[in-house]
Amino acid sequence: MSVLADLFSLAAVGAGVFFFIAGTAGLLRFPDSLTRLHALSKADNLGLGLVVLGLIPRAENPLAALKLVVVWALVLLSGASTAQLIGRVLRRGRE
Amino acid sequence: MSSGAPHRKRFSWARLAFFFLFWLVIAGWSARDIPVGALAAVAALWVSQKLLPSAGARVRAGPLFVLAVRLLRGSLAAGVDVARRALSPRPDLLPGFVACPLTLPQGAARDVFCLLQSLMPGTLPTGAEEGRALVHGLDLSQPIAANFAAEEALFKGAIGDE
Repeated sequence: MSVLADLFSLAAVGAGVFFFIAGTAGLLRFPDSLTRLHALSKADNLGLGLVVLGLIPRAENPLAALKLVVVWALVLLSGASTAQLIGRVLRRGRE
Repeated sequence: MSSGAPHRKRFSWARLAFFFLFWLVIAGWSARDIPVGALAAVAALWVSQKLLPSAGARVRAGPLFVLAVRLLRGSLAAGVDVARRALSPRPDLLPGFVACPLTLPQGAARDVFCLLQSLMPGTLPTGAEEGRALVHGLDLSQPIAANFAAEEALFKGAIGDE
């Protein structure tokens, strides 16, 4: 059971790291600030979600596991809000 | 049952419980610290009632569950979609703005909907003007406006605003 949990953690955290790398690739390769915002907000959110998913089986107790989920949710909400605000400023700058 | 006062009172208790549980999750369980948590929850409730008074939205569990599943699936698809475009030999993009009609009135519900839409594949709302959301899309060949309208209908169903 412990080996299975370790394998699950390894796979989920590995997948999370992959999406962080993909988000960074988008940041470097996409042509303008608005498209780069997509890369950062979406790929990194998924990456963090997968890292959290992988760490949940290693949490000391259910409250600690819930804390990880809360951290992910807060990052998700703040990232999505900030991306919209930056997007609005960029759009107005183009007008 | 439908009068405003009892509804608001019940909602306040729900908020208080939410803030206390939230504090418990962040700070961890310790019997000695419970009074601090209770005070923090009351303070958070007071601030939240000032900033976001109870609007009396009738959230419905069934449609809300469907919306949550769609959002999770959309969030996953969005990450995969961006990763594919970012890592392809030549980034596969056709970016631009799409004006999507909005039927949600200006306010918290519209803000929450736009926030959730920014988690969906290839779309990033960048504000609303004259009843239209100005959505930045990564690929304009996708049916961005149609998807946006379908998501809005689902969202309105989930918050009981139909």
